[in-house]
Amino acid sequence: MLELLGLTRRFRDIVALDDVSFSVAPGEMVGFVGPNGAGKTTAMRIALGVLQADAGEVRWRGRPVDAETRRRFGYMPEERGLYPKMRVLDHLVYLARLHGLDREDARAQAVRGTEILGVADRSSARIETLSLGNQQRVQLAAALVHRPEVLVLDEPFSGLDPVGVDVLSGVLREQASAGVPVVFSSHQLDLVERLCESVVLIHRGRIVASGRVADLREADPRRLVRVEVAGAASAWYERLPGVRVVDPLPEGAVLELDGAQPADVLDAARAAGEVRSFNVVRPSLTEIFRRAVGA
Amino acid sequence: MSGGVVRIVARREFVERIRDKGFLISTGITLLILVVFVGAGALLAGGTSFDLGLVGPGSEPIGERIASRAGDLDIEVTLRPFDSIADAERAVREGDVDAALVDGETIVVRADPPADLVGVIQAVSARERSEGALVSAGLTPEEIEAALEQPVLPVTALEPLDRRRREYAAVGFVGVLALYGQLFAYGYWVASGVVEEKSSRVVEVLLATVRPSQLLRGKILGIGVLGLCQLALIGVVGFTATQVLGALRFPGGALGVIGIVLLWFVLGYFFYAGLFAVAGAIVPRQEDLQSTMTPLSIVIIVSLFLGIEGNRNPDSTLAIVTSLLPPSAPLVMPSRLVLGEASVLEGLLSALISVGATLALVPVATRIYSRAVLQPGKIRIRQVLRSPRGD
Repeated sequence: MLELLGLTRRFRDIVALDDVSFSVAPGEMVGFVGPNGAGKTTAMRIALGVLQADAGEVRWRGRPVDAETRRRFGYMPEERGLYPKMRVLDHLVYLARLHGLDREDARAQAVRGTEILGVADRSSARIETLSLGNQQRVQLAAALVHRPEVLVLDEPFSGLDPVGVDVLSGVLREQASAGVPVVFSSHQLDLVERLCESVVLIHRGRIVASGRVADLREADPRRLVRVEVAGAASAWYERLPGVRVVDPLPEGAVLELDGAQPADVLDAARAAGEVRSFNVVRPSLTEIFRRAVGA
Repeated sequence: MSGGVVRIVARREFVERIRDKGFLISTGITLLILVVFVGAGALLAGGTSFDLGLVGPGSEPIGERIASRAGDLDIEVTLRPFDSIADAERAVREGDVDAALVDGETIVVRADPPADLVGVIQAVSARERSEGALVSAGLTPEEIEAALEQPVLPVTALEPLDRRRREYAAVGFVGVLALYGQLFAYGYWVASGVVEEKSSRVVEVLLATVRPSQLLRGKILGIGVLGLCQLALIGVVGFTATQVLGALRFPGGALGVIGIVLLWFVLGYFFYAGLFAVAGAIVPRQEDLQSTMTPLSIVIIVSLFLGIEGNRNPDSTLAIVTSLLPPSAPLVMPSRLVLGEASVLEGLLSALISVGATLALVPVATRIYSRAVLQPGKIRIRQVLRSPRGD
């Protein structure tokens, strides 16, 4: 179990983290979400020992994390960084060696990493000659090259094309199912919802919600309907009494029922045009997020 | 385990740089310049040999005497007989011979008479003519001999010309220049290496695995070993060139200089490297490096001038003092040692002061580096020293 306990960190007058605690169990994949500047990166940097906390501690398997333990962690910082002039394979070998692998093992792991992430054909290319997407893949390979016991990834999906997203999702799932606790931050909430069983929601340095996604959705008291209507006049739903628009869609909307019944909405939809779909739904992670941060 | 990490970091610094094409090319150019320099030196040093053209019956015997007299003075004169005055003049004009002696009476030169050669010719010719005059006056050969065979005036040089010393000073000067270039170049590499890690953000990946102090030590060590290897290579190639081209009369001095220069590179490099690392750690981009490196550059350039001055006047108070101060010692002490102006004990003292100063600087530099290397933007050293992040 990876535990962040009561982490607090100030940067001069700004409180970046205020008593932040959460944990990630082995084999669990946790999404760490929050608006820009909420404190995600600071928390992850502290977990990796790149920054120090003013208060609180990080524990792994019940013990405070020290430098030697951290060498077995895998980390992908938000600010991607590799030596631009180094060759892909050399770079991965170098990082594996820094993490304590012997020469042979480092080499084997580096080769494996390039194969898994689909950059094996660029092994002898300099990092700076790679496309951004490929650099990102190498960065992930770098985080995985030493068979980490824990994975902490800051915005690993940003900048990836859909194929890259699939590759990365697959790799993370694999790691989690091998028993590695995985925590990653992301602004792509649909992706988080698809990949993670649990999420931690941080806002202005404080945890505002955390737990299983299903439980959070269950706990949300709002009742929503998702309705799509073909051939309707635009914004037919805006005049409906007892209804608030949560999310407009190309041919419809997600509506929050505030006094109205689902049947009222359905009647209005029928009157407006040909109903393509109509669902009573639980709030999605995006809606939970919006509510939590007061947007 | 910590030693292992430092070694891995150092190895990367060494290997990545030595594989760099720019590095290999610049090393090649340096060696080429060195060989050309040595060759030019050998040519200039070998300037005391002349070709003398001879025309006419009276010239042959006097020519022999000129050659033998010149030989006594360490001047080599090669005689070249010509059939006609016109041939001899053409040879002079085209530079095939340095001068021509016509009928033992006229010296023909192109424009600027070569002083050494003309002096010998004049002396021999004057003696020849005096001898003739004395024979006509009816003196016996013994009397003539007694009259003409006067001993040369003894020369008392107030500052005796010591060829060995002069050559040692010249070689020492080359050593000072090499050290200056090397300290500057490799110090700059430390600084720009730190900035590279900072601006490419790779430092965050690294610091999740290694401590800042390990990263810094590995970087300084790897770059330093490379600098030492390159300097040793320059020394070996330079020395071989002097031997092959016959540029040095006293090769022992050059060997001494190479050894001393290598030692003081190590002392000077480690003294400066921590400071260069700090200069790199407090700026966000390569473009900003120039400004923070300026104070260091000034210190090194001033030290170069002190080194040149120390090479010229190695026994001056200035030289004695600056050869003990860590920033200037690497550029002053080698000359003093090779010229025999500093004792081994003095050298040892200077080295000890350097090592002591380096050991005192390292923790401060590491502290600033550790705190600055993850901060974005330009950083004030004072502010960094106060911030809470420790290693």
